[in-house]
Amino acid sequence: MAGIKHPRPDDETAEPPTPVSPFMAVFETFRSELDEHHDRRERIVKASRDITALSKKTIFSLQRVRQLQAPIPPAVSDEISAYQSKITELFTSVAPDLQDLNAWRYQNQISPGIQEYMEAVSFQHYLETRRLISYEAAQAKIPGGISLTEDDYVLGLFDLVGELMRFAITGMATGGALPRGGGEGGDLLTDLRQLRAGFEGLDGAGKRAQGKMDVMRSCVEKVEGAVYGMIVRGRERPKGWVMDVGEERRGEVESY
Amino acid sequence: MASSDSTPKGMITPAIFEHLQTKLDEDAQVREEIRNIVQAMERQDRTTMSILSRAHSIPQADLAGTLSEASESMNKQVEVIGKLKEVASKHPYYRYNSMWSREMQNASFAVVLWAWLHSHMSDHNGQKGELFTIEEVGKILQVPVSLKTQDVFHMTIEEYLLSLISLIEELARLAVNSVTLGDYHRPLEISRFVKDLHAGFQVLNLKNDSLRRRSDSIKYNVKKIEDVVYDLSLRNLVP
Repeated sequence: MAGIKHPRPDDETAEPPTPVSPFMAVFETFRSELDEHHDRRERIVKASRDITALSKKTIFSLQRVRQLQAPIPPAVSDEISAYQSKITELFTSVAPDLQDLNAWRYQNQISPGIQEYMEAVSFQHYLETRRLISYEAAQAKIPGGISLTEDDYVLGLFDLVGELMRFAITGMATGGALPRGGGEGGDLLTDLRQLRAGFEGLDGAGKRAQGKMDVMRSCVEKVEGAVYGMIVRGRERPKGWVMDVGEERRGEVESY
Repeated sequence: MASSDSTPKGMITPAIFEHLQTKLDEDAQVREEIRNIVQAMERQDRTTMSILSRAHSIPQADLAGTLSEASESMNKQVEVIGKLKEVASKHPYYRYNSMWSREMQNASFAVVLWAWLHSHMSDHNGQKGELFTIEEVGKILQVPVSLKTQDVFHMTIEEYLLSLISLIEELARLAVNSVTLGDYHRPLEISRFVKDLHAGFQVLNLKNDSLRRRSDSIKYNVKKIEDVVYDLSLRNLVP
């Protein structure tokens, strides 16, 4: 066996060993399959990222709505339908990558986009109807036959609570009262408490949901604190006073 | 508009959270079922590997008994995989894949290691069957392999490739131990085989995933084997 060469193989720089590996053909098949897989994954990650950004913009626009349980005003509506058509395009573009076997394969990649989209969709639904969007209705909002997992649906709803908090506090600051719909029974705080109770009642929700639980609770409590503050001291406030939502204060701003 | 909607208080239809709870319960049940099977796979795999690891201390020529014993243990593993296949087939494949992927890699590793050892028995001719293809492994484990669209239980190419990385690691150790056993020929065979595999891995475009991370070990193992061959040839011990 004099053919064995002594110099060490220099792993990256050296050409493949002189006799072509008998496994080359097999590995070339693997290569093309792995390449397809990586390409798909990249397309999905990119679409997911863009869907997330557009959903956030939609939510910002929706936060300008003041009237609960009424059609979205035209100015806002125009903006969000422009975002929506781009979102639809993005979903449709990756739909072929998310069929059959691959529907769950790239779940981690598409999930962030779907969650953010769920947040936007459920927020709009709430503003229009003062109802929580059902799973079925939410699924129907996703174009291209891409399936909505229960996880993504719930995680989107968790984030909805944060949007409702912002909406409530802005409503109180500008309108002097908690937004309530035209219908029977309760106001936004009633709804938030119901949502909280619903979330807390879920048994066996995953780790990601547990992580959002505390944030969700503190959002509800911020609104509770703000309502309290409004009742106790509200009349002393100058008109046009705007509560600082960004900071962790609970509306305990002294009157001037 | 929902103003005329019949539910009087608040925003939530109870059915919404009931539906979610049902789904959570179903999911927990499936996971429990799969977890039990995967644990059985782990146990069986440990048995197989403890048999196959005797190859490090038994000369190649005397491995027949070890191989047939390992083969029996692997057959039991095939039965366990059969159960997994049955349960997993009721759900989208990739929904729970991460729960058993590791054990499928181990099962595949046992098969490819067994095949390599078997192909080097004296009654076997040369390099034939040295590397079991993914199809051959699938046949042994009785699972389909490398499906692209059909959503049924199978072994993925990633799982197979990861098992080949384990094989390389194991053969590097075997190259060292062969010398201890006085077998100076086997390290050469290992060297040739692993170089061929390494060349195969080099054509893959690996992205940042588990395959990439684990394939980094290949070059170290190639070097380890090279060192053994170098030591032997330096001392004129190469047959």
